[in-house]
Amino acid sequence: MTDQVNPERLAVEMRGIVKIFPGVVANDHVDLIVRQGEIHALVGENGAGKSTLMNILYGLIHADAGEILIEGKPAPMQGPRDAIRQGIGMVHQHFMLIPVFTVGENVVLGSEPVRPGGFYDYARARTAIAALTRQYGLALDPDARVEDLPVGLQQRVEIVKVLYRGARILILDEPTGVLTPQESLELFRVLRGLVQRGKTIIFISHKLKEVLEISDRITVMRRGKVVGHLITKDTDEQEIARLMVGRDVLLRVEKTPAKPGPIALRVENLYANSDQGVPALRGVSFELRQGEILGIAGVEGNGQSELVEALAGTRRSSGGRVFLADHEVSNLTAATIRLAGVSHIPEDRRGAGLVLNYSVADNLILGRQRTPIFAWDGLVLRLKAIFNWAQRLIKEFDIRTPSSTTPARTLSGGNQQKIIVAREMATQPRVLLAAQPTRGVDIGAIEFIHRRLIAERDGGAAILLVSAELDEVRSLSDRIAVMYEGRIVSIEPPDAPEERLGLLMTGGGSGDRRKAG
Amino acid sequence: MAAAAKRSARQEPPQIVKGLRRTGRALAVPARSVLLAFVVGAVIVAVTGGDPFKAYQALACGGFGLFCFGGEPSVLQLANTLVVVTPLIMAGIAVALPFRAGMFNIGAEGQLIMGAIAATTVGIHFAGWPAFVLLPFVLLAGALGGAVWGGIVGVLKAVTGAHEVVTTIMLNFVAQWFLRFLIIGGPLQLPGGSSKSSPIGTSAQLATLVPHNNQLFLGLPGAVYRAHTGLFVALAAAAVFAFLLWRTSLGYEIRAVGQSQRAARYGGISVRKTLVTSMLIAGAFAGLAGAVQIAGVDHNLTDQYFTDTTGFDAIAVALLGLNSAVGIILSAILFGALHAGGSVMQSDAGVSGNLVYVLQALILFSIAANFLRGFKLRLPSPGRVPETPAADAMASAVAQEADIELAGDDKDTA
Repeated sequence: MTDQVNPERLAVEMRGIVKIFPGVVANDHVDLIVRQGEIHALVGENGAGKSTLMNILYGLIHADAGEILIEGKPAPMQGPRDAIRQGIGMVHQHFMLIPVFTVGENVVLGSEPVRPGGFYDYARARTAIAALTRQYGLALDPDARVEDLPVGLQQRVEIVKVLYRGARILILDEPTGVLTPQESLELFRVLRGLVQRGKTIIFISHKLKEVLEISDRITVMRRGKVVGHLITKDTDEQEIARLMVGRDVLLRVEKTPAKPGPIALRVENLYANSDQGVPALRGVSFELRQGEILGIAGVEGNGQSELVEALAGTRRSSGGRVFLADHEVSNLTAATIRLAGVSHIPEDRRGAGLVLNYSVADNLILGRQRTPIFAWDGLVLRLKAIFNWAQRLIKEFDIRTPSSTTPARTLSGGNQQKIIVAREMATQPRVLLAAQPTRGVDIGAIEFIHRRLIAERDGGAAILLVSAELDEVRSLSDRIAVMYEGRIVSIEPPDAPEERLGLLMTGGGSGDRRKAG
Repeated sequence: MAAAAKRSARQEPPQIVKGLRRTGRALAVPARSVLLAFVVGAVIVAVTGGDPFKAYQALACGGFGLFCFGGEPSVLQLANTLVVVTPLIMAGIAVALPFRAGMFNIGAEGQLIMGAIAATTVGIHFAGWPAFVLLPFVLLAGALGGAVWGGIVGVLKAVTGAHEVVTTIMLNFVAQWFLRFLIIGGPLQLPGGSSKSSPIGTSAQLATLVPHNNQLFLGLPGAVYRAHTGLFVALAAAAVFAFLLWRTSLGYEIRAVGQSQRAARYGGISVRKTLVTSMLIAGAFAGLAGAVQIAGVDHNLTDQYFTDTTGFDAIAVALLGLNSAVGIILSAILFGALHAGGSVMQSDAGVSGNLVYVLQALILFSIAANFLRGFKLRLPSPGRVPETPAADAMASAVAQEADIELAGDDKDTA
């Protein structure tokens, strides 16, 4: 039951799309041409207008000008309903699934098959899903509860859901952001299978490697405009990056070998529970020296977040000990640990790292609002000192903001992250806990943050780097600790092959389990 | 925000324009709410056979001493309004401060009563002391009484996670019945069977603005003007509130907790301690309102405190005043004028004084409707209830939609 594919026919034509938000042109006469049966990558930095364009295509927002043709026919999109009727399906970056429902129930949600009398037709739903999964080679148990599935399979549920609604054109928004390397490869296999069976895929991503691997054609956006239509086999990473950023970008991190100094942080057999009260850390031990970067690799949810929080003092440990140099700091308050010279770039930028409604300046003193530099006797804020501090950091860390009184909420993700990085680095910490320091940040800011991390290292800071991006861990770290199920299963050199790390991250491989050191 | 705006205004002149525009936008919601309430109120008056213009003219006369065509003494009307405004300002702060920390203090009334009780007790017991010692002592006692009552709420919230809306409402009842016990057959009752306490000593009383004697002031004996120097206590309280909120580390922490408990915790701020502290301070402001009411106007506890609604009107004051010092003063004046003007409206225009409560409810209603969007974000769940994954998914879905709007903002700074 393969759809008719004619590579000359166009699946999607968006022509001259204009969308103006108050004060800014989000889409400036954007053209997007997607051929039938291809994987078309849409790349660009945050705020380049990709999401706006896709939301217009999916009917979530209305364009101010321009036209949309689906398979050659004009298709005005009044809302997602129209888009679905036209055969467009969207797989969001954050899954829209109900965790306690089964796979089957999630897939049919919103268009449930109904038996006479208004009852949910369980049998018919099952057969429909079984048929779909067989047809596209997407192994899935319709009776499994979604919350029990790994992230990769949850994503597959999302894909089956849009297929069930009859989608011929699938939009995937940053689909690999939450996946392990293995899961990403599996996703690519699925996507290729879908394309072979006549589907068309629009793939939004900022990971250039992936884009080169999976796509047929690429549309590059920058500041609301399309700056390049590329054919994947005729281009390379450097060219795409240059188009995205508008200048040449250093994709490789340049660094000299580390010169490790004395031990700055020692963790002995650390235990801690997750928010749900289940053990998340089960005996983590390692040593971190001044002047080195220890990278933590691992699939998200294997205790990395809890480790960083336990070290920063925002989560209580239930066992084990933590030493800063020779002083035990186990379970001291976050404020004390910070004063002792530990900085923390939290993984949840918008939730924890910033008070979004606070101004840039106020955010730049978060955690230090009672220190004598910013408050007389720790009581009354020294507005002048705070203002000067903000001016200095805005300049030094190149935070692009209209003023220091602008609310952090209105800045781009990259600039928000720069506020945190500036705040945490400007006090010359002895230990820097950097969790996902470049998540959701554009290439230019990534380059900047990477350079600052290396500079901090060279300045003698001990850096613990946690990142879901294996490439980032490998390029920045001097040693890589792989975490799996709350333990460090192995410490590897930075040039360890990706396959080996991937295997260790998923519990396989022969981690030599030697103690960190 | 006010301090921040001022700071930038000094540095970059064009910011003044931006600041004004922002102020204008901030004022738009309350102004619309008030306007809407008065329009609907006019319709109600007209439908029920009254004359809305006459009603509002009488209300303006009774509230502000303006448009008094019937020969009513303008200044007297204004003085009566100030009497109502004074405790409203302080009680409004008692609601606004916890709001900044993400809590909803419905208990300003109970805290006010406890403040009044403490102030009265001190005022009776130490009646012989000189005024310069006793008066501050009375006000301090009132603040302490309220602080204890608010502090209980804060401690319960921090320790057991008990929701402050429930505990404050319950403590309101406790305070009212405690008062009932004290002045009906209890230790504070004035001998002679009446349901009120003995009066506080004269040196415990706040002076009135017009000398309290039989000399004529604007044609009337000075004793009829009840407006008192407690007004200055209220204005000072508002100044303290603004300073605390915007210029101190504690204020920074209170606002941070209200905006995002996670970010606060990350920043090394003890959320529990901050919640308790803000309830203590809020209770102190409400207790001060009670003390000022006793020291300035009533001079003794009476059964009218059983039906007093200052602490509840304060919720409207804080909400309409956007939880800011200047806003609270302005909206306290508005609500004070409404309450004081109601009786004049009833007698002059023949419109039931209850219209005032209709207007107040309408203002609150339309503000609440406008608030609904921000409400979810402003009020964090009590204690440390872990977020369920489902709620997370919903939140991120909402966040994604919101990003559509934000995409615009992102770009002009990128």
